[in-house]
Amino acid sequence: MGAYLIRRVGYGLITVLGVLFLLFVLFFAVTDPDDIARKAVGERARPEVYALWKKNHGYDRPLLLNRAYAAGDSRRYTDTLLFDHYRRMLTFDFGNSDADDSLIARRLKEGMGPSLSLTVPLFAFGLVLGVLLALFVAFFRETYIDRAVLVLCMLTMSIAGLLYIISGQYLIGMLLKWFPISGFAFEPYLAGRFLALPVLVGVVSGIGADVRLYRTIFVEESNRDYVRTARAKGCGEVRVMLAHVLRNALIPILSNIVITIPFLFTGALLLESFFGIPGLGSLTVEAIQGNDFSTLRTMVYLGALLFIAGQILTDISYALADPRVRLT
Amino acid sequence: MTWAFVRVAIITGSLALALAGCSNNPYPASDRAQKILYSSFSEAPKTLDPAVAYTTASHIITGNVYDTLLEYHFLKRPYELMPGLAERVPEAVPHADGRVSYRFKIRDGILFHPDPCFQLSQGEGRSRKVTAADFAFELARLADPAVNSPLAGSFGQVLGFVEFAETLAALRQTDPAFADLPAHEQYQRAGGIAGVVARTELELEIVLKEAKPQILYFFAMPFTTPVPWEAVAYYNGQPGREHFADHPVGTGPYRLTTYEKQYRMLLERHAAWYGSGVALADAPGAVFPREIARDDILNQQIDPDYAGRRLPFLDRINFVREREDIPRFNKFLQGYYDEGHIIKESFDAIVQNDALSPQMSARGMRLDKTVEPSIFYIGFNMADPVVGAAAGERGRKLRQAMSLAIDSKAYLELFLNGRGVLAQSPLPPGIFGYDAEYKNPFRQPDLARAQKLLAEAGYKNGLDAHTGVPLKLAFDTPNTTAQALLQYQFYVSAWRQLGLDVEINATTYNQFQAKVRRGAYQLFTWGWIADFPDPENFFFLLECGNAQAKSGGPNTANFCNGEFDRLYHAMKSLPNDERRHGLIKRMLALTEQERPWIELFHNEEYALSHAWVINSKPMGLSYPTYKYMDVKPELRARLQVDWNVPVRWPLYVALLLIVAVSLPAVRTFYRERQ
Amino acid sequence: MGFLSNTLVVLLLVGGVWLARLVARDRYWRENATQLWRRRPLALITLALFLLIGVLDSVGWVGGGASGEDDVAALRSRTLIDRLFQPERFTEASYSAPLARLSFYGGQPLKHPGKHLLGTDILGRDVVYRAFKGVRVALLIGGFTSLIVIPIALLFGVFAGYFGKRIDDAVFFLMTVLASVPSLLLLIALVMVMGRGTLQVCIALGITGWVHFCRIARGETLKLREAEFVDAARALGVSDLTIIRRHVLPNIAHLIIITFALSFTGLVLAETILSYLGIGLDGSWGQMIDQARNELSRTPIIWWNLAGASVALFVLILAVNMIADALRDIIDPRTRREGR
Repeated sequence: MGAYLIRRVGYGLITVLGVLFLLFVLFFAVTDPDDIARKAVGERARPEVYALWKKNHGYDRPLLLNRAYAAGDSRRYTDTLLFDHYRRMLTFDFGNSDADDSLIARRLKEGMGPSLSLTVPLFAFGLVLGVLLALFVAFFRETYIDRAVLVLCMLTMSIAGLLYIISGQYLIGMLLKWFPISGFAFEPYLAGRFLALPVLVGVVSGIGADVRLYRTIFVEESNRDYVRTARAKGCGEVRVMLAHVLRNALIPILSNIVITIPFLFTGALLLESFFGIPGLGSLTVEAIQGNDFSTLRTMVYLGALLFIAGQILTDISYALADPRVRLT
Repeated sequence: MTWAFVRVAIITGSLALALAGCSNNPYPASDRAQKILYSSFSEAPKTLDPAVAYTTASHIITGNVYDTLLEYHFLKRPYELMPGLAERVPEAVPHADGRVSYRFKIRDGILFHPDPCFQLSQGEGRSRKVTAADFAFELARLADPAVNSPLAGSFGQVLGFVEFAETLAALRQTDPAFADLPAHEQYQRAGGIAGVVARTELELEIVLKEAKPQILYFFAMPFTTPVPWEAVAYYNGQPGREHFADHPVGTGPYRLTTYEKQYRMLLERHAAWYGSGVALADAPGAVFPREIARDDILNQQIDPDYAGRRLPFLDRINFVREREDIPRFNKFLQGYYDEGHIIKESFDAIVQNDALSPQMSARGMRLDKTVEPSIFYIGFNMADPVVGAAAGERGRKLRQAMSLAIDSKAYLELFLNGRGVLAQSPLPPGIFGYDAEYKNPFRQPDLARAQKLLAEAGYKNGLDAHTGVPLKLAFDTPNTTAQALLQYQFYVSAWRQLGLDVEINATTYNQFQAKVRRGAYQLFTWGWIADFPDPENFFFLLECGNAQAKSGGPNTANFCNGEFDRLYHAMKSLPNDERRHGLIKRMLALTEQERPWIELFHNEEYALSHAWVINSKPMGLSYPTYKYMDVKPELRARLQVDWNVPVRWPLYVALLLIVAVSLPAVRTFYRERQ
Repeated sequence: MGFLSNTLVVLLLVGGVWLARLVARDRYWRENATQLWRRRPLALITLALFLLIGVLDSVGWVGGGASGEDDVAALRSRTLIDRLFQPERFTEASYSAPLARLSFYGGQPLKHPGKHLLGTDILGRDVVYRAFKGVRVALLIGGFTSLIVIPIALLFGVFAGYFGKRIDDAVFFLMTVLASVPSLLLLIALVMVMGRGTLQVCIALGITGWVHFCRIARGETLKLREAEFVDAARALGVSDLTIIRRHVLPNIAHLIIITFALSFTGLVLAETILSYLGIGLDGSWGQMIDQARNELSRTPIIWWNLAGASVALFVLILAVNMIADALRDIIDPRTRREGR
């Protein structure tokens, strides 16, 4: 197990280096630091001002090779944007935002709270509701309830997420006036009001796909031999479902779920943007719209790190949960 | 056993939903009785450094936290300057060698906001008096290339301004030890600006190289506010300390107490504002104007009871971030914001027959219409060979024809509910030189005439004689939002009627900037709102020295007309007299014929305020007036509750439906069990 | 663009005919096809209708037709849909409700009273026409991108799974690197960097969607490589490429088809998000939705723009989802084994 872990982590590290290179190519090889300077400082500044800004933010160096130094001088390779990029990302020295010079690390800390307060309830409610509904439907499989719910799932899956948000805001925020249309509050007793609508919209938009998937898993499980044995022994159907099927079906469900846990931190981009929640998702959207490459680079890097971590976690949880899995 | 479990789950679920508050009031109950003004902002300020902050987003904070030597009178139109921190508005004193000087006498006893940064000079003290040296410090910062003020160019006429900047840069380059000194010491050693002299502790003299009457307007902007050197030295961004750009220290009526700029900002009353000394009690900047015009009272914009009363009235101003227009406006309608701007989508419900609709009037709301000193226009790149000056007579007729095809009135009706004044020239109403009767012959839509001009230009029916196909032109924009594209489509359809094939190139911001720098654009659209109420602030956008192609300046149309430039330089420093009027008329005649711009409209702001907001007369210029405003909290609390009763019946109906649907299933299940 | 578009359509039609003949000849696939038709006739007809509209909107030429007033349009390539609707004439001044006789604001008589089935938008354009134009864009994003991406992803995936070792390592590494970046962010970054445009967005979508296909192909190939008949073929000395062609590919065909259908819907829905962020395709339903989303808040409410685009999007996605679902039931060997 230990050797496996080391190998997985090692491979993950190499992947991280690859991701960093991809980021570098995307952001630096094709975009001009002049444009970043212009967006940050504004249009009306003099050329010396842009030069100064680039110097202060380290964008005045060459990309790969600094010919200002002689060959053999290590600074030829280290005083470049590429080296700097790797060094800073690997040491988590994110620096300042290009748009407004704020410390990115601080923005990350500030944004994590709101993001988590949205994604964790979303995740929890979605999982619980999805499992309950799927259990209910699997219990009544082949009856009219089963068919009706499946059709409903198909219908809800086919609606674009954007439309859920738009109609949710309109129906619940404006017509029914149950919850505020958008906004956020850091005080916990107020926050619930603001989060109810985005969580509702998020859960409803994702539930179709989830229920179908879980139902398939449950139905497959309940056709297994050991379950048929249990029924033959005289266990009630409900007991069979809950005690046997649920417990064993949770393994594939959870391994599906574990991979999404890291993304709880990066926030639900669309939901945060529409509902005005100042989390990491809206931070990303603003970085996109404001040409703020240093923030965007950080968010993408962190997302990748979390994804790789999630993959390792999934592999481990598979190995732990299912003793049949061989760790090769 | 398991059914009990399921039942409990359903009940707790619905309870949780109901307990989530089921009310849409975003503010805590403890704030209900306080004199707080609730407002919103859509973009976070980039910086609060008064030397650098240039956007409206920052101005709502800097305008309230920083005081200036001069101020605009709150009520008088056309705008009038009045003394603020200065004792009176200084006269220009001409000197023999062409120089002009202004002497400001600063009021005694103005205190800065209490702040830990003053330990640097006061030991235990938390604040100190404002002196002339504080103004000089800020002006030196405007000149400092490291501060990078966007307004540095406008102070070029101040004696020694440019030389001071050069001295600073040179000293920093040659002496690294110098560069490590705190800013105020650097300025001292570099000798300061020759034309900015602190004659005594409370007397400031500004010397200009030549006459520039508009300089006084700059002393009404936060760029020239007094800045304590302690704040800049203390808030240097070291670990544990903020940047000065995030921590303003001023003398204004409000202090910034909470600055979570992605989410909310709070301003709280400064207790010692204009506080020490009886002589300050009557300062014009600290009291409500005594003379109030009858119109302002009749429009309910001003409550006459407030005449002569000491400012400010509000205890707190609460800004919340609202990115999207519609939620912001809906929250305004629900009473959770005290002021709002009308949006297109709700226009017909709010305004009927040019006044507030009956439903809105019944709620006690007020509508204030102001025409902003702004101009929105479509510009031609005069450096382009097809549409620009190089095409000579042909180019001019092409531009004139295209100008005749755009119907601003239809555009305003379609996209802005008619809110705006049709623009006939670059100058908006309220600016000297504006003529309400003037009708630009090329801004009255006339397709027939346009087609004739087009034919004379050599593009009969829009066809390019060389290629035989309709003339292809490019319209470039960095705005890719759906709304903007619809608006551009409107122009394109208008030009299509002439037979011209205009293509919209909506690109990313970077691509657009790259094109502008290369000069690879023909048509674009832009808007400009005045910094100060003077025609020079509009004409400079057409002056050749500011051309984008030459100096990267704001003259994106690259308009270079010798006669126009001559007239511009002649008129820019004149007072508002007959001679200036004549020069302006000649300049407008030039722009009328040359058509570097197709002037579209001057924006009209429809500001709405609730019944509980008092003294809400809008200023027009980007100039915060919160110190004059007041609220009635009990009225607000009552109306908020009245207007926001949640609709609960669908919840019960939904629950009922769920139960009704699952009952047959449950019954079938139990039956099968037998 | 016109010539390219027309040739593409011809190629697609030829390809479609060839595929139909292939299916008709093979008994296995013929049975599948008839089963599919029996289960989901409505969805298939709907999809066929959409395809028809898309094809009609891709065949265009310059000149001809009675446009008269608009020379610019006459000299641009106009498709069959354009000629059917004649949008230059069929516009109003501004909004009008479905089948209305008067304009929405102001009550002026319309130029074509009662003829706009779903009303007109802010510039007076007919909503049904715009919805029809969006069909081609949706098919382009979903179908065309998938058609380009699948062969490339298949190539990488199958080779990686079959040949293993170094090739597998390299491909797996490439896949992991690309997959580690959250796909929405990568998409946005790519479009920002390459600029807006149909081709750029399709390439960006392709780059972000490639990995999913590749991984499935690789996984299945890995399983198949251990299968007995492959061992037998190798023992007989059959070349690797022939084994891939004759044994591996047909056995993963079912997965490819299903994944194609799912990726189609995923891509079309992703484009709506791109339109919201301002980097989508012109004329797409996502752009229509974005333009129309604020209209719900108008009083009186303007719903027909949003309804037109949403319903078109919904119907297409639903049809493809249903077909994919039925296909999965029919051709997935696991479910077939259970005798359903």
